[in-house]
Amino acid sequence: MDGSILTDNLSTLVDDRVDEGMFRVDRSVYIDESIFEQEISNIFEKCWIFLCHESQVANHGDYFWTEIGRQPVFVHRQEDGSLKCFINACSHRAAILTPFRQGNAKTLTCRFHGWTYKCSGNCVGIKNEEDGTDRSRFDLREIASLASYQGFIFGSLSADVPALDDWLGAAKIWIDLMAVQSPEGLEVVPGSSTYKTDGNWKLQAENSVDGYHVSTVHRVFAHTIAARESKGEYTGIGKTESGRISGGVPTASYDLGNGHMAIWAQHTTPEARPIWEARERLKNELPPKQVEWILTKGRNLYIFPNVMLMDNPSTQIRVMKPISANQVDISVYCVAPKGESTKARAGRLRKFEDFYLTAGMATSDDLAALEDTHEGSMARSAKWSEFNRGLKSITHGADADARELGFEPQACTDNWNHEVLYHGFYRHWLRMMKGEFQG
Amino acid sequence: MTDLQQEVTNLIYQEATLLDRHHWDEWIDLYTEDAVYWVPSWANEEETTDNPEMNLNLIYLRNRGGLEDRVFRIESRDSYASVPLDRTVHVVGNVLTGNEKAGEVEATANCIIHSYGKKGGLTRASLYDFKLRREDGELKISQKKITFIDDRLEGPIDVYHL
Repeated sequence: MDGSILTDNLSTLVDDRVDEGMFRVDRSVYIDESIFEQEISNIFEKCWIFLCHESQVANHGDYFWTEIGRQPVFVHRQEDGSLKCFINACSHRAAILTPFRQGNAKTLTCRFHGWTYKCSGNCVGIKNEEDGTDRSRFDLREIASLASYQGFIFGSLSADVPALDDWLGAAKIWIDLMAVQSPEGLEVVPGSSTYKTDGNWKLQAENSVDGYHVSTVHRVFAHTIAARESKGEYTGIGKTESGRISGGVPTASYDLGNGHMAIWAQHTTPEARPIWEARERLKNELPPKQVEWILTKGRNLYIFPNVMLMDNPSTQIRVMKPISANQVDISVYCVAPKGESTKARAGRLRKFEDFYLTAGMATSDDLAALEDTHEGSMARSAKWSEFNRGLKSITHGADADARELGFEPQACTDNWNHEVLYHGFYRHWLRMMKGEFQG
Repeated sequence: MTDLQQEVTNLIYQEATLLDRHHWDEWIDLYTEDAVYWVPSWANEEETTDNPEMNLNLIYLRNRGGLEDRVFRIESRDSYASVPLDRTVHVVGNVLTGNEKAGEVEATANCIIHSYGKKGGLTRASLYDFKLRREDGELKISQKKITFIDDRLEGPIDVYHL
């Protein structure tokens, strides 16, 4: 691709010999800046990228500034309720057009030279305009593809992407498990956190569906919660699910295709989940299998390449923005069913704060582990990371749970300690890096 | 400086010192049983969230037990983010004290926090809003709101970084 010297060697980075009992990845994929540059051009600028949730741009004029790869873009809610997404740079001399990350503006005026754009992207004002200027030449550049699924808005700089529904594939059923929890849909709760991670974005992708680390890295969280709850102060929805951390509960992991991955673990205290209050309504509205999954299975979903949806002790959208091979910015949002009781909402938020923040008592430990993993990857004398756990337990296609819920994974195993799901991730990564698949 | 100003300032200095020297139990003893410890998140570039119950905070502990959880985790030596423990120095200034009314007094202060750990040295800053209450003649912290001015956070953040 583009005459890159990398192309010929890309295949050697993923040692995919599952038939011989070996799947390993060259750790240079985490640290090599030339590989990262190729990821930006071949993955982030070619793929569907999660941009924001529809509740973050609910009203006419609402905008949300984010990045596709490293390119600034903003989603803008139009007068007719539709959405457009533009490159966030003035057509004149490239100044960022949105003063804030999120806000409302029915027209945007560049703060550099005062050029003005309507919500539609049309250039409608040029300060001290010269005679004969064709303003239409300066209309904002719309990104090539924009689509939503269940309120989750995705965009691509490439026009040559599959339909979003096809791209999401089996992951759609997992998104549904969150989105159908309220007939009014979901909303992002005010407040968020962004943190800089000194580690490669793929380590964050791996960590978000790594069940294997939970009983070591989060053992201290389980112990802390047990000590707290032994004092008797935290009951009902105030309790925090920690059964999955101690282990010994049913779990599974899935390669959902197109690089998407997912895991679940059975919750031992589903009555502590904020959605529990809605169980009777859910049973009336939804198929029994879907209700069972919503209420009793804690779930982590990774959608290739930049977003994770968690529905475990609390509910989270986690978005990645790659900065370099060695750095990724992560923003986390609490997403919740509209119309839930204030008690459920408060419980959801407190569980989020306990676990899901770098100022919390679990994600902070994940971050430290991830950064250590990245640092260890600098050791070129020991260059392979192995993903071989669970090779003897692979089911190709659906297991009984997947069949009952109605999704078709590429492969699965009956334990979230297994690493087979990463095979799908790295196979898809390799396909896109080689230019063999448009995401 | 009035006696009350001196007393309040000493209490705020004492808290910073106990954190920096890892005297966790004495630190917790500065707080009332029902103390609220609140670190709002930023709602946008200019404003923090203002409804701790219904918005996402960085930390929101509704009694002293929440601080005890933090100390339990630090002292367990089983928290990846807390071993090795960052070194910190809090420098508190701009202490302003209100009047004591019915055993309660409000105070504000600023704090620069320098820490040193795996990432090297980092300097952060916080605005403090205190509510203090007199219990058995002694002033204790019944509420501490920390406006942590950093937004794009670097590294794990715990009570000793704030």
